[in-house]
Amino acid sequence: MNNFSASAQPLLNSNAVRQEAWARFEQVGLPTTSDEVWRYAPLRDFSLDDFANFEPFTERAISTRGAELLGGHSVLIVNGEVKSATLPDGVTVESVLIPTTLDQTPVLERYASDSFALLNLALAPQTVVVTVAPNVRLSETIALVHETTAGVNFARTQLVLGKNAVASFVEYFDGATNALVVPLSEYSVAEGASLELFTCQRLASSAWHIARSTGYLAKAASLQQSVIGLGAHYNRSRNDAHLLGVGATNELRTTFLGSGSQVQDFRTRQYHVAPRTESRLLSKGAVAGDSRCVYTGLIEIEKGAKRTDARQTNHNLLLSSTAHADSVPNLDIRENDVMCAHASTVGPLDELQRWYLESRGVRPRDAERLMIEGFFTEMLVGAPEEIVSGVSEDVTRVLSQEAAV
Amino acid sequence: MSQLVITDLRAEVAGKEVLKGITLTINSGEVHAIMGPNGSGKSTLAHVLSAHPGYKVLGGSVTLDGVSLLELDASERARAGLMLAMQQPVEVPGVRPVDLLVAAGASGDAVETMRAEAERVGLRADLLERFVNVDLSGGEKKRAEMVQLAVLKPKFAILDEIDSGLDVDALHAVGERLSAATKEWNCGLLAITHFRRLLDVVTPNVIHVMSAGVIVASGGAELAETLERDGYEPFKV
Repeated sequence: MNNFSASAQPLLNSNAVRQEAWARFEQVGLPTTSDEVWRYAPLRDFSLDDFANFEPFTERAISTRGAELLGGHSVLIVNGEVKSATLPDGVTVESVLIPTTLDQTPVLERYASDSFALLNLALAPQTVVVTVAPNVRLSETIALVHETTAGVNFARTQLVLGKNAVASFVEYFDGATNALVVPLSEYSVAEGASLELFTCQRLASSAWHIARSTGYLAKAASLQQSVIGLGAHYNRSRNDAHLLGVGATNELRTTFLGSGSQVQDFRTRQYHVAPRTESRLLSKGAVAGDSRCVYTGLIEIEKGAKRTDARQTNHNLLLSSTAHADSVPNLDIRENDVMCAHASTVGPLDELQRWYLESRGVRPRDAERLMIEGFFTEMLVGAPEEIVSGVSEDVTRVLSQEAAV
Repeated sequence: MSQLVITDLRAEVAGKEVLKGITLTINSGEVHAIMGPNGSGKSTLAHVLSAHPGYKVLGGSVTLDGVSLLELDASERARAGLMLAMQQPVEVPGVRPVDLLVAAGASGDAVETMRAEAERVGLRADLLERFVNVDLSGGEKKRAEMVQLAVLKPKFAILDEIDSGLDVDALHAVGERLSAATKEWNCGLLAITHFRRLLDVVTPNVIHVMSAGVIVASGGAELAETLERDGYEPFKV
């Protein structure tokens, strides 16, 4: 780790919280596959020294989709640093360093045992805070376009919606050849506010992506979040929601497409603290080639969170005989007066649906493509066209790779 | 003039021989009805012709204009000119009808044809935007099958109990569309049905009675009347 530490040093010297986070990271160390939650990660191939290049080493142009998204209201964030912003009235962006989470917990307390979150806290160039003022209702989606031109990208984002605000955001990650991308994001939705969020990851197949996000929802707040994972050699995405206010609702849709030897590792936690809160989780993904996916979801209901209604559904599609899917739903309920359900399926494409399409004259490969795109379609309802077409492109590419094998 | 020729077709499902030698020739523009009691093998015939998974052909041949269909997959059979309209069309979530039809080889003006055909069979235009057969009623699904038929214009259509579960209005809409197809592009029809009421709208040239996997009688409209009066009992083998 010497090269990586050396690269980290100048940043660490600048700030006490960074130093503390780094010290804590050194104490915790990197995870290993003997940790149950990291069991499927290809950590044996992982060395921080492979990512010791903190300086931009490529002037690569912005990705095609990224450029499209920058055409509207947007913020360009390169290696975690804001480069430009075009925002509507009522929305601001600040670059600061914030030592607490959006529920005012000291960061080192909240992320005390999360190695990669600690790395982010030590090395994120800044905390990008995007704020939507109270009562502002935005009609146009705002894109946060993340590009990576260095060996690491420790993007740290806080998205804050004031009381009764309504907004839609896209977080888009592209590029990052041979890079380590570790986004740490928090979303705070104040009373009566509503946030729609699409997080789409289409990194290079050589990248490592280890992301964690947490939503904090106040009374009657709504967070509708879609997380789409397509790229990276190892894609880990942990998405939590803390339902803190009465009547808060969280809808989380996670979607992924695995190919080659990719590992798609999704973790979710719906934490119900207040009464009459509602969560809907739908995780749908497909694995092709020798890829593997893991879905581990926890619904946690605190004592007192009466009339909570929480549902979790996971469907995995196996597109080859050598692909693997694991699904681990968990419930931790400390209140009696609740509704809770989970369902999970794993299997190949539906044979009857495939036959029906073919019996109209659709060729077998097109039938497969239509069905797989269809599998993702419901996950992309409401998503901007740039995201939908990106997913479609990736599905077509993966299927043509499969055909070539 | 096209010709669909079925010769001594035998097939099994789950290890049981269900078709025991079907022989039948249909010409362009003709309507052939197949009637018969439950379990006689009518739907199996429709499924075997359209390469439904789970059926195994044991012998015989099926040709469309001389092209042997049994060696072809479902998609190739459809492209050769055969289409199955189903009793319970399969729901395909996430796939829009227009995308299905374009992938099936429909021409660029498929959308306009779909709209016009939907209106013709009384299917609300907004239902064309729903995923294939998802959230449609039984009647709407069959009207939707007619829209597909009119866009794809197959040489021959096999109708597998398409009249079941239809109310009078839907039955007429579907029946009249099929009748018109026999004239518009000389579509040949093989209509599998339990009921005479479809045949009152789509006039058959020939009625076949099927029992225990074979055709036991063929005749004109009078055969439907006999069946109506005496039931299938006299035809049992």
